[in-house]
Amino acid sequence: MKILLETRHLTKHFGEIAAVEGISFSVGRGEVYGLLGENGAGKTTTLRMLATMLQPTSGSATLAGYDLVTQPEQVRSRIGILFGGDSGLYDRLTAAENIAYFGRLNNMEEAQLEERIRELARIFDMEEYIDRRAGKLSKGMKQKVAFARSIVHNPDIMLFDEPTSGLDVGATRNVHEFIMDCREQGKTIVFSSHTMSEVEKLCDRIGIIHKGRLVAQNSVAGLREEFQGKNLEDIFVELAGDER
Amino acid sequence: MNFRHVWIVFKKEVKDIARDRRTLFTNLLIPIVLMPLLFTFLGGGMEKMEEDIENISIALTAESDTAEIRELLEKQVFADFPNIQFKESVENPSEAILQKEVRFVLEVENDFADLLARGEPYTLTIHYDQSDTKAAGSMGILNQAIQSYSRQLVQQRLTDLNIDPQILEPVKVVQVNAAEENKGGNLMLMMMLPLIISILIAVGGIPAATDLVAGEKERATFEPLLTTQAGRLSILIGKYLTVALFSFVSIIAQLTGMTIGGIISPSFFTMADGGGSMSFFIPPGALLISILIIIALGMVFAAIQLAISTFARSFKEAQTYLSFLTFIAMVPGYATMMMQPEDLRPLMFFVPLLNAIASLKMSLGGVINYAYLGIGLATSVVYVILSLMLAAWMFNKEKYLFRN
Repeated sequence: MKILLETRHLTKHFGEIAAVEGISFSVGRGEVYGLLGENGAGKTTTLRMLATMLQPTSGSATLAGYDLVTQPEQVRSRIGILFGGDSGLYDRLTAAENIAYFGRLNNMEEAQLEERIRELARIFDMEEYIDRRAGKLSKGMKQKVAFARSIVHNPDIMLFDEPTSGLDVGATRNVHEFIMDCREQGKTIVFSSHTMSEVEKLCDRIGIIHKGRLVAQNSVAGLREEFQGKNLEDIFVELAGDER
Repeated sequence: MNFRHVWIVFKKEVKDIARDRRTLFTNLLIPIVLMPLLFTFLGGGMEKMEEDIENISIALTAESDTAEIRELLEKQVFADFPNIQFKESVENPSEAILQKEVRFVLEVENDFADLLARGEPYTLTIHYDQSDTKAAGSMGILNQAIQSYSRQLVQQRLTDLNIDPQILEPVKVVQVNAAEENKGGNLMLMMMLPLIISILIAVGGIPAATDLVAGEKERATFEPLLTTQAGRLSILIGKYLTVALFSFVSIIAQLTGMTIGGIISPSFFTMADGGGSMSFFIPPGALLISILIIIALGMVFAAIQLAISTFARSFKEAQTYLSFLTFIAMVPGYATMMMQPEDLRPLMFFVPLLNAIASLKMSLGGVINYAYLGIGLATSVVYVILSLMLAAWMFNKEKYLFRN
């Protein structure tokens, strides 16, 4: 499996606080890697670094062959993100305009962009409301627009930071389906969550992150084997539940 | 910086804000409609007040209401004042005044004619309500009439004594206006416009600035935006130009409203000049420099507003911080409001905000010093660069960008 994302001792300090401490992992093409950790464990900081929003204090990472620190623009051309449960759309722009804005900022040509929006509208069944303002759309419709926006430039790598946080059952299911679709298309996926069941359901491999450190990583089956057949929740509590 | 990305961000932001009815309403519609209404009410109110002050109702006390005294007052003292109307005499002066039946009640000594013939002074008592603004204004007219009548009497007495009345005027004062024909400006505009423009510039871009960074953070659109291929500087400049544009649009709307108001109710502008002319002349060079300085000031505020919006954790927090800018603009605006162009000091042209106010005041006042205006323009350009550097620094600082 070709490795598309690799971090090496990735570290981020905010003053005295070590948010992420020497994280190393790699993710192959078409693989879903889950970062499992409690709130404040360092998942969002890791993903923000991978998305080039934060500069690592030390360590490095390569995404689609580009260095995170020295080639941030090239890295951004190969990633798509879906952060948090909110769809994060511009309410006064139409669904198509929302998608087009991100396509243009990702250097897509107008003709190519138009074709891509039509394609995405078809894929996500948005044709009926593609020219309607985002503020007038239902939550489910908005979610689809956000999905389309994140892949408008056809990125190789997708970063999902707790994408189901605060969502109801239906919306959560939509996110899961979207992640599975991305995997089927051969995209490399890093997915953060604190929900055991969805990590277990979606991820090929899991990294358990605790106080900024990656304390274990393996497939779900591999982790069970490592921890004498315990279930994921028990493994997680054993590794990250020391304060309880 | 990628100019294509700047243009994409700018176009999107303009479209987004232009679709926001609330912003359009507060930034465009209200000034254009509200200003003329305000001027009409203020100007109309002033006109009405002046009219009321000029129309004076007077009554005599019952004791003074003799044919002789009536003739003295109506035919001699107030003969040249047709707006002074004599009413029926009153028994109780205070009551008549407080009941607004008349504005003044006069009392004249009944033997005034004898005193006058003997060359002795007689007493004319004026009853009025000092707390009544109109009565206080009308009192000036009454005094003017009485003094004019007294002067006539003195002149007559001197002539009767074969003395030239000019003996009372040892010095004859002649005033010559050394200023150019059009110079002198408009007092009201010179007082108000620099203050109004500085405040408008400080507040005009606030809705856009709040929405464009703090608003984006809150709506969760900011992080996806930062992961596009557009660099941070391109995003910032696109947003910065939008804030500056809406700041100017807001000023233009306000000034349009003021102009319409000035056309509908010119008395608002001329009232400080005592109803004088509204015409004034600004040399084109000075006008151009002043406009450039105002534009630069708008750009400085746009950068500061974006820096503050970047610092804020939420939309509400940004609104709170940004509201202080209004006070910052008010201080130098009010501090220099009564200053004349001659009072402006070179140092003022180095101080941000004060340089724009001073330049505008100088141009409107017609006392142009191009060296000072040049300093004002040069320092404005420096402040634009510094403020933009501050905004860019804030926009690149992780601890401010991701404070939430």
